[in-house]
Amino acid sequence: MTAMTTALRLAPLFRSGGAQRPGAAALLPVASFAVVTALLLLVIAGARVFFSWDDELASTYQMLAVIALALLVVPLATVGASAAKMAARRRDDRLSSLRLLGASKATLGALTLIEAVTLSALGALGGVVLYAAAAPAVGLLAFRGEALGAGMWMPWWWAPLIAAAVVLLGALSALAGLRAVNVTPLGVRTRQRAAKSPWLRLLLGLGVVVLAVILVQLVPAFGEAGGVIMMMLALGTAFGAGLLALDLIGPWVLRVAARVQHRRAKDVESLVAARTILDDPKAVWRQVGGVAVTSFVGVFAAAGLAFSQAMASGEPGAGEQYLMVDISTGVLVTLAGSFLMVACSAGLNQAAATLDRGPVLVSMDRLGMPRKTMSAATARAMMSALWVVSGGSALCALLLVAPLIGMALFMQPLAVVTVVLVFAAGFLLIRGALFLAARLVPGILARPERVL
Amino acid sequence: MTNLLSVRGLGHTYPGAHAPALHSVDLEISRGESVAIMGASGSGKSTLLHALAGIIAPSAGHVLFHASTGPVQVDTLNDDERAKLRREELGFVFQQGLLLSELSALENVAVALMLSGSTRRDAEAAAAGWLADLGLAGLEDRRLGELSGGQVQRVAIARAHVTGAQLIFADEPTGALDSTTSTEVLDLLLHSVTQGRTLVVVTHDPDVAARCQRVVTLRDGSIVSDVAAANA
Repeated sequence: MTAMTTALRLAPLFRSGGAQRPGAAALLPVASFAVVTALLLLVIAGARVFFSWDDELASTYQMLAVIALALLVVPLATVGASAAKMAARRRDDRLSSLRLLGASKATLGALTLIEAVTLSALGALGGVVLYAAAAPAVGLLAFRGEALGAGMWMPWWWAPLIAAAVVLLGALSALAGLRAVNVTPLGVRTRQRAAKSPWLRLLLGLGVVVLAVILVQLVPAFGEAGGVIMMMLALGTAFGAGLLALDLIGPWVLRVAARVQHRRAKDVESLVAARTILDDPKAVWRQVGGVAVTSFVGVFAAAGLAFSQAMASGEPGAGEQYLMVDISTGVLVTLAGSFLMVACSAGLNQAAATLDRGPVLVSMDRLGMPRKTMSAATARAMMSALWVVSGGSALCALLLVAPLIGMALFMQPLAVVTVVLVFAAGFLLIRGALFLAARLVPGILARPERVL
Repeated sequence: MTNLLSVRGLGHTYPGAHAPALHSVDLEISRGESVAIMGASGSGKSTLLHALAGIIAPSAGHVLFHASTGPVQVDTLNDDERAKLRREELGFVFQQGLLLSELSALENVAVALMLSGSTRRDAEAAAAGWLADLGLAGLEDRRLGELSGGQVQRVAIARAHVTGAQLIFADEPTGALDSTTSTEVLDLLLHSVTQGRTLVVVTHDPDVAARCQRVVTLRDGSIVSDVAAANA
C-alpha cells in the first residue's frame, strides 16, 4: 500500500480530529490563502488593464506594473509559507500520534500535502469570492483619468488558474514547512539549526550595502552606456542587494536591540519580550522580515511619490501629468497590498508561535501572571522587533535612494506624510493581526493538558 | 495545628466529559503539614491539586484558604483574582519544572517577585539568595537548557519559595528525576515544611508519599483513604 493511499484513508480522520483544536488555528490559514488569492486576482486584473494599452506611454505603465507585481512577490510568498506553517502546527499532535503507531515519513508527508491542498483550496475559493466582492470598489481607482471599472473583471478561466497556483503554493510551502519540524512519536518540535556566526553575516551584509550604494551612484553612467534597460537593471540589482543586506544584517540588529532592551527591562513584560527575541533572533526576524521588505519598498514609494509630484509641478503634457499621478496611486496601492499581506503573515506566525509556546503560557498562568501581561509580553516582543526592523530597513533604503532623489524627498513633504500615514495604518493592521492571534491563549489555558 | 485549607463537597467535571473528575471531596489541610495525594492515573489527583490551588474553578463545592490577609473562598474567585492569589500566596513545583525557557535561572526566580510588584534589582537580589541556598550559586545566568534536571527542579523550588508563599503545591516533582536527585529534591521540599510551610504533593511514588505526614488516596474522583504515612 502506498503512502498516498494510506494518507487518503487517514485524511477523513484528521478532519474530524481537527474539530477540537482552537478555531483560529484552523481558520487563519484558510483566511490567509483567501487574501492571497483575492490580492493576486485584483493585482493581475489591474495589470491586465495596463497591458491592454498600446500608445507611447503604455510600455512605461507596463514596466511599472511588472515592478509592482515583483514587489508583492516576497510578502505573497511569506504569507503562503506562514499559512502552511500554521496548518502544520494545527495537525502536529495527530502527526506525532501516527508516528507513534509506526506511520512512515512518506505517509506523514502525504497527509500534510492532502491537508495543505484542502485548506489552500478552501482559501482560494474564498479568495475568488473576496475578489468578486472587492473588484467593484477597486474598479473605482483611476489611471490616466479613467476608472479601472469593468476592466477589473477578467475572463472566468483566470479564477481557477490563480486558485490552482495558490493551491500549488500552499502544497509546496507545506512540504517545505514539514522539513523544518521534527515529527517524533513524542511530539512535533521546531528543528533547531546551529547558529551561524553573526559577525560573518554582519560583515557580508555591510559589504553588500556598500556594493549597492556604489551601484546606485553608477546608475547614470549605466544609463549613458546602455540606455534605459541597463539603468533599470542596475537599479533592480541595487534593490535586490538592499533586500539581501537586510536579511543578512536583520537578525544581528534585532539581537543588539534586544540586549539593550533586556538590560533596561524593569517589568516582567519587557524582560520576557527581550528574552523572547534574544532566544532566537533569526526566528523573530523570519516573523517580521516581511515588514522589512515593505518598509524598504515604502521608502522607495515615498521617493517615487516625491519625485512624481516634483515632476508634476512643472508643465508636462497631459500624458506625463497622468503618469505622475498614476505613479502616486500605484505606489500607495502596492504599499497597502504589501502591508495587508505582512499583517496576514504576522498574524499567522504569531498564532503558530503561540501554539508552540503553549507550555510556557501554562507555566506563566500557574505562576499567577495576569493574562493581560502574557499577551502584552508577546505583543511587545513582536512590536519592538517591528519598530527596529522597519526603522532599519527604511534607513537602508534611504541610503540607496538619497543619491538619486536627494532633496525631492524634503521638497515634497506631502509625499512623505502620505507614506507615513500608510505605514501607521499598516502597523495598526499588524497590531490587529497580533491581537487576533492572542485570542488563542484562552483556548490553550482552558485545556493545558493538551500542551503539557 | 491551625487549618490552612478546608474543602467541602468539591466536584469537577471537564467540558465534554461523561464522568466527573472529582466527586464530593471533603478535605482539611493544616498549617505546617505535608500531605501526599496518591492514586492511579485518571483518579483525579491532579484535578484536586488544580482546584485547591485555584488553577481551575471547580464545578461544585467550596475551597476555603486562610491566606495571610484573611480567609479566601477560592471557588468564588474570578480568573484574575485566582491569578493574584497564586502569585502572592502559593508556590508551585511541577514535574516538567514549567519554567520559562527563554529566561535565565535567576530571572525565572525573580519573575515571581516582579509579578507582585518588586523592582527587578530587589527581585534578582532575593532570587540570587534563594539560588545560593539551594546550591546553585554561580549558575544564576545559565539558561534552563544548560542545567540538569535536578538543578531545574531546584530553580522551580526557589521560585516557589521566593515570594514567601506559605503553601507549596508540587505535582510529581520527582517524576522525571533519578532516585538520588529525587531524594535531594524531596529533602529540599520537606525542609521547607520544617520551617512552617505547608506542602501538598501529588505523586505516584510510594517512597515520596511515605516521607509525608499524611497520605490521601483518590479513586475515580473520590477520597478512599486519608491516613498518616507509615514513615511520618
